[in-house]
Amino acid sequence: MKIDPEKCIACLECVDFCPMNCIAEGDDVVSIDQEECVECGVCLHAGVCPTDAIYMPEESMQYPRAIRAQFSDPGVWHPSTNQGGRGTEEMKTNDVTGRFRRGEYGMALEFGRPGTGARMSDLEKVLQALIKMDVELEHDNAVFAFLEEPLTGKVKPEFRNEKVLSAILEFKIREEQLEQVIRQLQPVLAEVDTVVSWGLASRFAEDGTLPVRARLEALGVHARPNAKINMGMGRPLCEP
Amino acid sequence: MSHALHRHGTTEQLQNDYTFYARASRYVNREGCGPKLRKILSIALEEKNLVNYGSSQAGKSFKAGLKPDEYAATLDKAYGVAGCFSDKEAVRSLLKKLKEADTGISIVISGLIDEIVEIARGLDLKPHTAFLSLGVHGKRSLLPEDEIQQITTMCGHGMVAAKLSKAVIGRVKSGKMTPEAGAKLLAQPCPCGIFNTDRCEAILKELKENAPGSAKS
Repeated sequence: MKIDPEKCIACLECVDFCPMNCIAEGDDVVSIDQEECVECGVCLHAGVCPTDAIYMPEESMQYPRAIRAQFSDPGVWHPSTNQGGRGTEEMKTNDVTGRFRRGEYGMALEFGRPGTGARMSDLEKVLQALIKMDVELEHDNAVFAFLEEPLTGKVKPEFRNEKVLSAILEFKIREEQLEQVIRQLQPVLAEVDTVVSWGLASRFAEDGTLPVRARLEALGVHARPNAKINMGMGRPLCEP
Repeated sequence: MSHALHRHGTTEQLQNDYTFYARASRYVNREGCGPKLRKILSIALEEKNLVNYGSSQAGKSFKAGLKPDEYAATLDKAYGVAGCFSDKEAVRSLLKKLKEADTGISIVISGLIDEIVEIARGLDLKPHTAFLSLGVHGKRSLLPEDEIQQITTMCGHGMVAAKLSKAVIGRVKSGKMTPEAGAKLLAQPCPCGIFNTDRCEAILKELKENAPGSAKS
């Protein structure tokens, strides 16, 4: 995003809306730090600019910069996956897709959430660790279009420095891998240069309980008391 | 997207904060799902205590001016319906009606796990899969204050700025803005409509009451 200096009257109305805190006042005009801007469009969509000085320049839609909006503005679709958002259907439709079966856990590591943003290179250390861990990486996630092939854990050089509001690594493990994966991931995540929100998807047991909660507690891993729950109302139902 | 996960707060702070998401699967039932999504939207709109709703396809939420008809018109090209409640009974009522409607579209509710499971049991529903939050890792020193996180994480796409939250808290504490107006302003950047303005208003009200110089403090 950019601010037209000819139109800007430095009223500062847009400044507080920036999730990356990268709009600042200069000499009589306000400008957006292009290195930090993730092209989320919040400043523009807020509709607070009295002179319509905020705009998305053409270069924001050209690669490699174009991925900023794709991973930051939920209204912009990913050409590689033909859908919006930063993740996949994950457990939201698990009742009809059967993506995570009993005996398996899904995991999602969302880099830059909440509110800090991430460089695509922030994913690399963790991805390299995951590749060594015998986990099943989710290739339908839009992140995969920007990784080196064959998979080394590196982001393609032209995208490494692109900053996004958040990007997600999704993968699946077998139940028996839980402790090993958690123990190996914890120190790697501690070294990441941004924040990472960690999610775990699990099937309910036949009796309606959620055994993974006790397993996590035994491992000393705190799970929040709130969660997203697929209510099992999709049809046709996969693995009741 | 896992946008309703990772809402920040203690068990007490997370009470009365529920989101719902009806989602068609691209692999199973997305083709021609528009009429079913419109049916789900109409059921949700029947609930008096629906706090907010919206979608990224529509580009804005109810709190930012999205009208039900406008929302309904987007659903042939969309794959989900989202909204939020601050009343457990409204969630129970919504699920009861959705069960009767039997659209076959997947329904996801976020909230306190034990409460959602209890509601499901009462309606003879069998929860299928849970997505748990194992918290925030990495460079936690970058995170803002606790009360700011309670507000900003109600938009899982991260569209609600910490700076805006801080500014609104300041205005509310100084009496320049009401908690209600503050919550409405903070809801504007979140197009999906899962930013719970009731919860936000309660947070702002509590911060105002506990501010130095207030009657309560």
